[in-house]
Amino acid sequence: MNLGQTIIDGLALGALYALVAVGLALVFGVLRLINFAQGELITAGAYALSLTSNWPVIAQIALCFVVCVGLSVAIERIAFRPLRGAAPATTLVATFAVAFALEAVWLIAFGANGKPADPLSTLNTIAIRGSLNLRWITIVEIVAGIVLLGGTALILNRTSIGLQMRAAATDFRTARLLGVRTNLVISFAFVIAGVMAAVVALLYTVQTPLVTQTFGLDITIIALVGAVVGGLDRLWTATAGGFAIGFATSVLGDVLPASQEKFLTAFVFLLVILLLLLRPGGLFTGFGRTTVERV
Amino acid sequence: MSRLRAIQTLLASIGLLLVVALIGSGTSAATQQNFITALISAVIVYGLYVFIGNSGVISFGQISFVAIGAFSAGLFTIPTQPKHFVLMGLWSFIADHTVSNFASYLIAAGLGAVVALIVGLPLMRLSGIAAGIATFAVLEITYNLFLQWTKIGPGPTTLSLVPTSVGVWQAFIGAGVAAIVAFLYQSSRRGRLLRASREDPAASQAIGVNVTRERWLAFTLSGGLCGLGGALLVHQLGSITVDQVYLELTFLTLAMLVIGGSASLWGATVGALGISLLDSWLSAAENTVHVVFFSVTLPNGASDLILGVIMAAMLLFRPQGVTGGREFSLAFVNRLRSRRTRAGTESSRTAASGQPETTLEQDMQPTEGVESRAER
Amino acid sequence: MAEPALEVQALEVRYGAVPALRGATLSIEAGEIVGLVGPNGAGKSTLLHAVMGALPIAGGSVRFEGRSLAGVPTERIVRQGLALVPEGRHIFPDLTVDENLRLGLVGRGSTDGISDDLERVRTLFPVVHDFRDRQAGLLSGGQQQQLAIARALVSKPRLLLLDEPSLGLAPAVVETVWNTLSEIRSTGVTIMLVEQRAQITVGFADRTYVLGDGRVKMQMTPQDADDTERMVEAYFGS
Repeated sequence: MNLGQTIIDGLALGALYALVAVGLALVFGVLRLINFAQGELITAGAYALSLTSNWPVIAQIALCFVVCVGLSVAIERIAFRPLRGAAPATTLVATFAVAFALEAVWLIAFGANGKPADPLSTLNTIAIRGSLNLRWITIVEIVAGIVLLGGTALILNRTSIGLQMRAAATDFRTARLLGVRTNLVISFAFVIAGVMAAVVALLYTVQTPLVTQTFGLDITIIALVGAVVGGLDRLWTATAGGFAIGFATSVLGDVLPASQEKFLTAFVFLLVILLLLLRPGGLFTGFGRTTVERV
Repeated sequence: MSRLRAIQTLLASIGLLLVVALIGSGTSAATQQNFITALISAVIVYGLYVFIGNSGVISFGQISFVAIGAFSAGLFTIPTQPKHFVLMGLWSFIADHTVSNFASYLIAAGLGAVVALIVGLPLMRLSGIAAGIATFAVLEITYNLFLQWTKIGPGPTTLSLVPTSVGVWQAFIGAGVAAIVAFLYQSSRRGRLLRASREDPAASQAIGVNVTRERWLAFTLSGGLCGLGGALLVHQLGSITVDQVYLELTFLTLAMLVIGGSASLWGATVGALGISLLDSWLSAAENTVHVVFFSVTLPNGASDLILGVIMAAMLLFRPQGVTGGREFSLAFVNRLRSRRTRAGTESSRTAASGQPETTLEQDMQPTEGVESRAER
Repeated sequence: MAEPALEVQALEVRYGAVPALRGATLSIEAGEIVGLVGPNGAGKSTLLHAVMGALPIAGGSVRFEGRSLAGVPTERIVRQGLALVPEGRHIFPDLTVDENLRLGLVGRGSTDGISDDLERVRTLFPVVHDFRDRQAGLLSGGQQQQLAIARALVSKPRLLLLDEPSLGLAPAVVETVWNTLSEIRSTGVTIMLVEQRAQITVGFADRTYVLGDGRVKMQMTPQDADDTERMVEAYFGS
């Protein structure tokens, strides 16, 4: 085993989880709502890829984006808009229910056996051979992570809508008093979440080319856990948390002996509990400021 | 509230359980299973209710204790000989000891409570989203351990050869006991302290209620009831896999609690029995059922879809559940009846706007959130 | 005849079942500075938030330059030319001073003359210029108040509502704030000033309404400011 290889693979998986975490954190920022259904966007995008396997790849990718963004905005309109202002526990259970219902839809529509989707399977080839074996997908995942996270940061810091989102995330009421359009800002958050989901769907099919109804759920739950551990309150802490859990899972999976690797999930979640106990407001929050525990 | 009025909800709950048991006992052996399942669901939902309903803290982890109950009761009742033969990796203590079904209920409930006690000690300090994630982590850990650690369970295989003994009446007794325990707790001083803290954690802390300790007690009790539920489940089915006591059951039982109304025992009863029977019927419909004149065949997954939609709709339009989170009382039934005739216009207006009665309070909630956020 | 800038008729607002305003009536002419005073819990902030559409109106009406504001969402009300400087300032502490100021631009009805207005506000409040790249949370209370007013002004309101702008400020700072209010009025902005400090407010505003128990109890003019008896009656009389 090679340490460099382990780290590179960890970076790639971390980047993927970070993208999911960004979507979750953006939505949480403006709505105070944990969107379990984010995973269903990824699943929907992946099914879209599998159903169009005879299309040109560009068209497949475009469709994947349309499906993810469209579904993201639609879920917000139909299910989450009426829930604005409800208690966090209520919204948590509600988005759980939406995810569950959508999963049933996938099962009804596409069956339980899974559908193949591999539009980008060529990325599975080795790009650089040597002491480190770098596959294209690893490089693409890391680059996509950097570009998309950087792009999100640019939008948030350099555009008016980004400024409005940041304001709304800290103090929605005051933001509205200044004329920030609630629905616009919230829809925009869901659009970005949809874009992230589409990218994750595309990249994730490379390593998991069989799309089942829980395709996006698992990765979303792990990313969510990471985001909460990092601190869901702030975009960068949530993203860092998502990245960290992806990185840790990948590295631990490599480092742990096979006999213990089967307990990897238990390990990671034990760590999650410990971190939550030590820093309920988030691992990365609270530098130079005190956090009030939100009930 | 007077004691007499309070006890109505327990009597009504047990009455409803009895009705389900009576109907079930008159049906065919196959159909009867659905009624037994409904009663066992009630046990588990009472377990959830004791913690979630009374504390207002969400937990995705209670099914862990159902799993613990199911596997401990199952493993300790499989006859020793086949146990050695089938589950070779098992810890010798578990492998060598076999008890009666009745004793296994006590073991399951006790073990559920003890594990909840241990897990709850650190966890009960958390609330809100952190609590949700941490309890979810507990579920993941239990799942992972039962799935992989063959010293304490069947691993990825099915645990079978468990003696089945749970019929309608045993399930009814289990559900009745769970209802009584939940009722006694919620009417006790400790239970009322916890319910007060649900309404306003800060204020109850300020008047000296140790919210963490009260939540801990409820969590432990909940673990015990869930363990009992798991034991009943395994003695109903005779065989069980780790996946049967994981995410899907978590969702299903949470849906029962939320749809029924998580703030009252009556809500837990109505939700558990109603949704469980509906779920059984829908699952059967996935294989074809006959409805009066025609037969219906639903596609695979339809029952989950319908439940998910009902649950989401319930949260949107009636966040307090079918029962509105109220306890059963004859006085309330009467009031409801008279109000319906008196103020038809008012209720139609609420219905038209599609908003629950609590609209204004809900509108004010984000305001408070904003305030507390701005303070830090 | 010109419409009043703001006309509030028999306004009722409830928090759940609890009434906060029970039929408050007042009106403000264009170009006036009008005060609104009253004890804690009289409903002053509630009235401002109801005017801005941030609280649902249970009864009565609110008209801005003749147009009804009932049921109009906050973000549209802002674009019609109203701005509120909320109590406790509510600047965004993590954003820079300049970003806070630019958020005010979101609520402008038109995009014309943005740079002129920004310039004017920066001359009026040098703070927002001098500390433009600093985190707003690091400003002093008085500076934050100035930023909050500046932020409201760049949305180009014709009616500016201020909720307790002197709260928590040192007396010297309060004076600066009030001087700027006079300057703002001289640029043609109508001002409604909600305050706890009744005597100063009555002396400063053109007219002052006294709010109590969710109703307007009386109206006072600057001549009443030294009439302690009348002040006491306004606050405690029934």
